[in-house]
Amino acid sequence: MLKMTHLSKVYRTEVVETYALRDFNIDVKEGEFVAVTGPSGSGKTTFLTIAGLLETFTGGEYHLDGIEVSQLNDNARSKIRNEKIGFIFQAFNLIPDLNVFDNVEVPLRYRGMKAPERKERIMGALDRVGLASRAKHYPAELSGGQQQRVAIARALAGSPRLLLADEPTGNLDTQMARGVLELLEEIHREGATIVMVTHDPELAARAQRNVHIIDGQVVDLAEDPRFHTAYTAAAGQIRS
Amino acid sequence: MMQIKPILSALRRHKAGTVLIALQIALTLAIVCNALYIIHERLAHIAEPTGVDEPNLFAMANLWGEQYTKQQAAAKIEQDLITLRQLPSVADATPTNGYPLRGGGWDNFITMKPDQVDKTTDAAVYAGDEHFLRTFGLKLIAGRDFNADEVRDMGLREAVTPPVTIVSKTLADRLYPKGDALGKSFYSMSSTPITIIGIVDTLHRQDVSTWSAPYKGQSLIWPLRLAQPMGVFYVVRAKPGQLADAMREAPKALYAENRMRMFPAKDGLVDYRQIRQEAFERDRGMAILMGVICVVLLAITAAGIIGLTSFWVGQRRRQIGVRRALGATHRDILHYFLTENLLISVGGVAIGTVLAFALNLWLKQNFALESLPLIYVLSGMVILILLGQGAVFAPALRASRVPPIEATRPA
Repeated sequence: MLKMTHLSKVYRTEVVETYALRDFNIDVKEGEFVAVTGPSGSGKTTFLTIAGLLETFTGGEYHLDGIEVSQLNDNARSKIRNEKIGFIFQAFNLIPDLNVFDNVEVPLRYRGMKAPERKERIMGALDRVGLASRAKHYPAELSGGQQQRVAIARALAGSPRLLLADEPTGNLDTQMARGVLELLEEIHREGATIVMVTHDPELAARAQRNVHIIDGQVVDLAEDPRFHTAYTAAAGQIRS
Repeated sequence: MMQIKPILSALRRHKAGTVLIALQIALTLAIVCNALYIIHERLAHIAEPTGVDEPNLFAMANLWGEQYTKQQAAAKIEQDLITLRQLPSVADATPTNGYPLRGGGWDNFITMKPDQVDKTTDAAVYAGDEHFLRTFGLKLIAGRDFNADEVRDMGLREAVTPPVTIVSKTLADRLYPKGDALGKSFYSMSSTPITIIGIVDTLHRQDVSTWSAPYKGQSLIWPLRLAQPMGVFYVVRAKPGQLADAMREAPKALYAENRMRMFPAKDGLVDYRQIRQEAFERDRGMAILMGVICVVLLAITAAGIIGLTSFWVGQRRRQIGVRRALGATHRDILHYFLTENLLISVGGVAIGTVLAFALNLWLKQNFALESLPLIYVLSGMVILILLGQGAVFAPALRASRVPPIEATRPA
């Protein structure tokens, strides 16, 4: 589903080159629920933005659902984002001027979908996240957890092949975070491929597979003595 | 167009800016429509044909330096005309009380019966001899010119009503709408019937004022020579291409003939370029003023649209990034802002149309403006909608270049 090979991302200024990702390799299979963890500045978000085609990369290869994306123009990238990827952002990123229904409708409109189908999908997605009754509410009238559920509904409405979640519970309290996580797990059980960036070990432990990034590279925690003990202990505690 | 509903929904959440711009568009439309119509009216007024051979004509205001009797003045005029007509650059000359666009002159009530109390209409009166038509280059479309023996001298404070006249077609049609004016009579401030012996195609009135607008083009010519102690106008027609020569030679020749005269600085010697310039100075000034008002208003409206849209683009940068992340292309974002502006503009021009007609009604009641033709409102609507789309294009283009990564930046 998502395969990056020797991928690099370099930010250049006049005086310095900074590698956000270096010789980055990852392979996410269809139907997997992968948590990407790592300390701040490790390159997690850069990985996610490149995976979501929100920005370009400097070198290497990236195949998304079998398509090599490096040569695609902006319109083609927009089309892939619209049709194949669902985004869940930490800050929800709902459009404050639009009500819940219209927010969920945004990607469907860009797909050129007919109104009856849009309505059916929107109400289906809102029903799925338990917010069908709030369709006419504006984001400011909802709690953080509800806003994130709307964002998930927006991501789901387009039936994407891949869900990318960036710290999806980062702005939520524990109870709300648990609800959102359970929703993601449910979506995964139904067959969705999910890649979730998080710095929260508890959340990461709920995923099927963990990928850890340090200094722009994927590392195997089991083979890195610096992290092995603490991480596995935390994960074990959470699972138990 | 598919984005109209969410755009309207978003605009409802930004009422202040939306309403202000829509009102600005509405006011601009109302003022610009009426201003354009005033400009059109003024330009049409300026362009009105006089019916005379303007490129080859000039007028001389001849003031006598001595007090002449009627007979002496008549003799002096006769001699002056012989002198003028003998000049190699001159085609013809006539003595007259005025000329088209002079800015004021003789004006008479017209009645159809000798004892009629209320006038039928009003006409500008020209006095001239048998050379009048040829000198002015007027086009006789029916009847005949004056004969020399029909021309009478008129002294100071004399009330002479010649029995024959040549009228403009406009006056002929006004008096006899069936087109059978030739040979028919009317009265003008006396009980003597005046018979129409000729009809000229066009002869503009001497004045260009608004009071005479209902009598536009209504002129008559009487076979009269003003033999008066003060002076007389000579209108001279130069041979083609010799206007400058004629204007230089004519005063010299007249001074050589008789030095006891003067040609005043203001209108002593004027050609039709100057006559037109002075006659329509206020119209031209008003047209320019209205044009400047239109340009300034349109510029302010465009600046308002650019300002508000730029502000909205800056304010919604993250939102645009989110839309891009969710699949919007550059073109989708561009269309979004163009459509948003179109909706505001349509609302503005809808209100502006009502305001335009209301303003026109007020102008009609207070300044005698005609009813605003629909085409001006339609043109104004198109201008403002295009202006809005043009003004919004640059900020919309900037918005379309917001990258999708903007969605992940902190708010």
